[in-house]
Amino acid sequence: MSKVMSTKEAISKHVNSGDFLFIGGYICRPPFAAIHEIIRQHKDNLTITRSNAADDFDMLIGAGLVKRFIGTFLSLGIYGLGRCYRRSLEKGIPHKIEVEEYTNLSLPMMLMAGAMGMPFVPVKDMVGTDLLNVKSFMGENKYKMIDSPFDGKPTLLVPALKPDVAIIHVQQADEEGNAQMWGIGGDCRVGANAAGKVIVSCERIVGRDITGKDPSRTIVPSFKVVAVTEEPFGAHPGYTPGFYDVDFGFGYQYQQASNSIEGLDNFLKEWVFDLQDRKAYTQHYIKKFGYEMFRKLQAGFDYSYPVSYAY
Amino acid sequence: MTKNSNKYIKPELMACCGAREIKDNNVVIVGTGFPAMSANIAKHTHAPNCILMQESGVVDARPKRPALSVGDPCLNPGSAMVGNLLDIMGMFLQAGWVDIGFLSGSQVDKFGNINTTCIGNYENPKSRLPGSGGANPIGSLAKKTLIIALHDKKHLAEKVDFITTPGYIDGPGARERWGLPVDTGPECIITNKAVLKFDKETGEAFLESYHPGSSVDEILENTPWKLKVSSDVHETEPPTGEELRVLHEILDPHHMIAIYEKRGYI
Repeated sequence: MSKVMSTKEAISKHVNSGDFLFIGGYICRPPFAAIHEIIRQHKDNLTITRSNAADDFDMLIGAGLVKRFIGTFLSLGIYGLGRCYRRSLEKGIPHKIEVEEYTNLSLPMMLMAGAMGMPFVPVKDMVGTDLLNVKSFMGENKYKMIDSPFDGKPTLLVPALKPDVAIIHVQQADEEGNAQMWGIGGDCRVGANAAGKVIVSCERIVGRDITGKDPSRTIVPSFKVVAVTEEPFGAHPGYTPGFYDVDFGFGYQYQQASNSIEGLDNFLKEWVFDLQDRKAYTQHYIKKFGYEMFRKLQAGFDYSYPVSYAY
Repeated sequence: MTKNSNKYIKPELMACCGAREIKDNNVVIVGTGFPAMSANIAKHTHAPNCILMQESGVVDARPKRPALSVGDPCLNPGSAMVGNLLDIMGMFLQAGWVDIGFLSGSQVDKFGNINTTCIGNYENPKSRLPGSGGANPIGSLAKKTLIIALHDKKHLAEKVDFITTPGYIDGPGARERWGLPVDTGPECIITNKAVLKFDKETGEAFLESYHPGSSVDEILENTPWKLKVSSDVHETEPPTGEELRVLHEILDPHHMIAIYEKRGYI
């Protein structure tokens, strides 16, 4: 059964205000086409999670759509601290979000537990630090310290996370939703599989026969997927391995714009609200910065041996 | 060791100090910037078989330019393995395979505890910083943690505002009491003025060597606690000709490391 639809339809049908979202990406493959659509449709009161959050999370916070953040880190990479994140936590603008702090070990382990149907998971980090002293909306359920029933040693347990919806961007998927990814994975695979349903945004839709030519690349199988959206250039200004590079210049423009509330509003107007979809976004990008700049971001080719699964 | 008469900048010296802590065959988790430079200097000089990895999932990358983040596209092609966060942070780091981790902190205290969460009160921060990311698990679980910091009374502290990443916590035995793996913890703090090492008995940092141009007195003045001084305190060995050649010709031909001078590493 084909699950192909527009991003507009996917977000409208499958994301509700108040939902708990896993949003995949790790500088590579942030699902920006879907993020912008969430902002256009004003899905708010969201709880969002991912290890190493970046400009996409900062933008959702600046747009006032985030109530809670289960996180480990948020920054704009080489452009420093997340401006909207700081304004929210330091000044309550547009409102103060609630943050539950974990780490790049414990959070993906919690998503793994969610994906595996485990209630909780022991982790070896976080102990002895103030990460155990700050508790937000998860309260006493942020973690539990026990004596291991096996050897009596102090052991930290953290709960499984089960987001309502995962939104990921990958290189290719078929119409049924089998999603294929290569390159740096971050916590995309466990995050997607922890969620109740998955929205797969991809650079290209391929036939089911192409999925079967290299099935080891599939990170989410079709039965978990509710929507497939084809969004070329859909992770920009992040990158997609084999398709296009990080757009550092654009990242700098977001940093400069998000330095002020007015700048952020203007940025959102220009790049989100005044454009109806990713196609219009890409056209606007080319019109503004020139085709040369767009072409410069496109990846070259450096193929491996073709893989073969024949027997 | 060949003495070097060539010019170098402070971040290059600091990168070399980090490199010298890495032994051949070590498994090293690196971030970006001069920690990555350090590990690469080691790999190109005395530790050709050390394996570098990035928390994002990358093992033994062969980037054609310096990576600007741990998820940088240049880390993908040429690597020995590209997996995910749990491969690196779980399967390798938590399972005890990582020898060295590099961390930098906005605030570092005398026990090597690091703050990257907030300046001021957590609930109403004066400045909200990015958070732990991979720092806490690296500081918790790598056998040796090397810490990079600016040497002044703002960035070094008797006690950090928030312990994001554990050093020796509140002193001897604390890591063991919390169940952190034995024989892990901070090895040294490399600053723009000095190398501080840790007394494993007390968990406290002491002055091991002062960089050329600094002095013991200047360092004591710029350290916000009563810093103990090693009985054989000496000047930091400047970069060797070979270290500088590797830096200038192979690792950083565009001299990108100079950006750290603007951040105060002078």
